[in-house]
Amino acid sequence: MASVKRTLIVQTVIGAVALLVTVFIAAVVVGFLDAKGAGVGAAPATFWIMAAFAVAAMLGGFVVGARWMQSIDEAAREAHKSAWYWGGSAGMSVGGVVVILASLEQAATVSIPSFLPGRTDPAAYAATGAFAMLLIMLAGYAIVWAWWWLSRSRG
Amino acid sequence: MNNRLKVLRAERNWSQADLAEQLGVSRQTVNALETGRYDPSLPLAFKIARVFDQPIESIFSE
Repeated sequence: MASVKRTLIVQTVIGAVALLVTVFIAAVVVGFLDAKGAGVGAAPATFWIMAAFAVAAMLGGFVVGARWMQSIDEAAREAHKSAWYWGGSAGMSVGGVVVILASLEQAATVSIPSFLPGRTDPAAYAATGAFAMLLIMLAGYAIVWAWWWLSRSRG
Repeated sequence: MNNRLKVLRAERNWSQADLAEQLGVSRQTVNALETGRYDPSLPLAFKIARVFDQPIESIFSE
């Protein structure tokens, strides 16, 4: 089991590095072609490179997560299931309160910092909301996961 | 559910890590089993019984 985890960690690091190197090379090529006036627009090319990067990174993360779940034992899996349901649900409930309050007219005057520095456009606020919800749910997940193990480590 | 895992392990002079390796689980899982705060699945219970060469009902009780 330990060797499976080690292999998975090594593959994950190699995959992440390969992805970053690919993005770097693609950016250099686009920059070079754009400077040469080869008709490659830097802005649309950046969008497509980042879109491909985002899809590859999230897909890779999902695959690594799935393989990690398969490599751990049943108690560790139970801890994650418990954290996913109870922690994730509790976090979502807290985030839900914020979502309801944000829908009130009074919230229109509240100044909310954007997740993306210097941007206050709708897409930036959508990303801020999604990221905030993700953080709250992850916090709930982490708390329940830690509680699950702590409560079972004492006799 | 109660179990005699700790006693059986001590009789054989095994550490939690030794038992974990034989069962193919983590040491933390063995600890959780021994404290009685985690009940194993049926396949793991059978595996435990095989490792200790005892029937399941002599290891686990309600």
